[in-house]
Amino acid sequence: MVRKKCVAMLLAGGKGSRLSSLTKTLAKPAVPFGGKYRIIDFTLSNCTNSGIDTVGVLTQYQPLLLHSYIGIGSAWDLDRRHGGVTVLPPYTESSGVKWYTGTASAIYQNMNYLSQYDPEYVLILSGDHIYKMDYNDMLEYHIKEEADVSISVIEVPWEEASRFGIMNTNKNMEVTKFEEKPLYPKNNLASMGIYIFKWSVLKEFLEMDDRNPESSHDFGKDVIPLLLEEKKKLIAYPFKGYWKDVGTVKSLWEANMDLLQEDSGLNLFDYNQRIYSVNPNQPPQYISPTANIHESLINEGCVIEGNIDHSVIFQGVHVEEGSIIKDSVIMPDAVIGKNVYIERAIIPEGIHIPDNTIIRADKDTDEIKLVTEESLLLI
Amino acid sequence: MHKNILGVIDATTHNNMMEDLILNRSMCAVPFAGRYRLIDFVLSSMVNSGIESVAILHSYENRSLMDHLGSGREWDLNRKRDGLFFFPSPRKESQSEIIGCFKQLRRNLDYFYRGDRKYTLISNCHTVCNINFKDILTRHITTNSDVTEVRHKEKSLGMFLIETSLLIDLINNQEYNGYESIVDVVIDKNQTLKISEYEYTGYAAMINSIEKYYSHSMELLNPAIWKQLFLKNNPIYTKVKDEPPTRYVNGSLVKNSMIANGCVIEGHVENSIIFRGVKIGKGTVVKNSIIMQKSQIGTNCTLESAILDKDVRVENGVILLGTNSAPFVLRKGSVQGALMNS
Repeated sequence: MVRKKCVAMLLAGGKGSRLSSLTKTLAKPAVPFGGKYRIIDFTLSNCTNSGIDTVGVLTQYQPLLLHSYIGIGSAWDLDRRHGGVTVLPPYTESSGVKWYTGTASAIYQNMNYLSQYDPEYVLILSGDHIYKMDYNDMLEYHIKEEADVSISVIEVPWEEASRFGIMNTNKNMEVTKFEEKPLYPKNNLASMGIYIFKWSVLKEFLEMDDRNPESSHDFGKDVIPLLLEEKKKLIAYPFKGYWKDVGTVKSLWEANMDLLQEDSGLNLFDYNQRIYSVNPNQPPQYISPTANIHESLINEGCVIEGNIDHSVIFQGVHVEEGSIIKDSVIMPDAVIGKNVYIERAIIPEGIHIPDNTIIRADKDTDEIKLVTEESLLLI
Repeated sequence: MHKNILGVIDATTHNNMMEDLILNRSMCAVPFAGRYRLIDFVLSSMVNSGIESVAILHSYENRSLMDHLGSGREWDLNRKRDGLFFFPSPRKESQSEIIGCFKQLRRNLDYFYRGDRKYTLISNCHTVCNINFKDILTRHITTNSDVTEVRHKEKSLGMFLIETSLLIDLINNQEYNGYESIVDVVIDKNQTLKISEYEYTGYAAMINSIEKYYSHSMELLNPAIWKQLFLKNNPIYTKVKDEPPTRYVNGSLVKNSMIANGCVIEGHVENSIIFRGVKIGKGTVVKNSIIMQKSQIGTNCTLESAILDKDVRVENGVILLGTNSAPFVLRKGSVQGALMNS
């Protein structure tokens, strides 16, 4: 096969258990986001917008929806004659089934996929972050710095640093130590889970890691420390811009609310870096004479008869008369009955909220209410 | 049974009553209902009725149509067998109101011979509808008809179902029968063929003048109408543009309007149809108007009963007032400054 300069491997097998009922039947990268997208659209669109046309998507947890959503990749222009998107679930071989036990083992078990393109560089991505990034800039930096591995990092507030994987660097941005969620962080550069490896180095170290029975086969915990031990050149690539790990219900809600702020740094209306998604093919939204809408994002196929204030409304949602929706996220095809009050909540896909329901978190908490079919029965 | 139909859409028709809206495009490519082109309705109806082979008769000028239809992927017509076919017009200036010109079909007769589709459905391209053609075929067969003409409110809808072999005969014998199009066959008083009428009772609107374009667009704001047009199980397909959801900025006020994706609404919008990617600035009031894709309207404007074609730029403080019978039309790509009409 024709050689590829850079092949991307997108880790999309995570369960995202902190997203609670949202990931009961689908993988975290498939969770709806931003009124029209699924989380994985951001990384897939970043690949397309960066000119990377060969992407392996590693799936494991609840893959049905994710697989059918990705399809042959045409939504992201990744249906290519040579390369394009390839979904890579775990498989059996003569020695038995090999589940992906960690991020590194997932890549290790798909070395055959990478070998067929014999790339110079491998870009490792995680399918559960919201950001726009030109991976080419990072690749150029990686090449210029003659690094073995480049790790994209973002400055986080010092008080939050102990929630992230922190890269300690010297003045040349060379990584000296990696600390996973340090109690007393020495730096505030958090790893974004984006790595560029020289393919030869990746191959060598994944094989080494596989031979280690003590390893949990995770990039952050095992492979990066091993690379540092072996004195490989690890460079931190400082990224400036919007980046958010939407791992919890709260952070998913926050990231949606960020979209309503014009200066949040994540611009969906920038046509040069468009975010692509599978189109639901619905008619334009209809706003009735009884509707009131303020500071909101609303997608196609919606029928709005109620009041929407500072909220994100996905496709095909119907909000009936007299209802008030405030600071909330309403996922696709939900039906909100009459005179419903919803505040600081996430309403999942396809749910029907009966007339006169009140949904809001307890007054004194800053929690976000995640509605489920079961929780509706209790109201 | 329905797999037995060949679809033919005549996209060559031209009507001077559409004036400014068809300066740069054919009738079939006129934007409609916030995100569609006129041809989407008949084409999607055909696809939803199980028709797998569709030929488009198109005129010489067809860039916007070709760009829109592409390989037919959005309609699931990018097939190895069958799919979407294009029959160019033999004449450079082929512009008439006649549907189903035999001359143009004759040049592409191979298409009709090659397939084993027993029936052919010939349709115009500018009717807004969501028809199930299977019902028409059933009626055609049970009534033993030679030609079935679809009608709506006692007027022809410009759609005809005919057995393919009969159509081939009629085309081949054009010199003897004198028919120039399928319409001639149906209106021939001395016809020996059995011509039936099928009265379609659902929603249908033929768009053949600016006035009709405007009134039928406004009609869409009636939920009883759009519910007949936009059916969950029979969607209208169109070319996808990957626009983000529409953003309503603080201070916006929107009532009784149909709004496509990718818009930024800062002003007031009432009884209007707004296509994708439109920006409506602060303090601007848009009433009873149709604003096509990517038009940008500045601040403090007043637009009433206006049709803005795509890519129109309206500068700050402009007042454009039309009436329901004579809407103010701004051509594609034009710029309207505040002092231009004063």
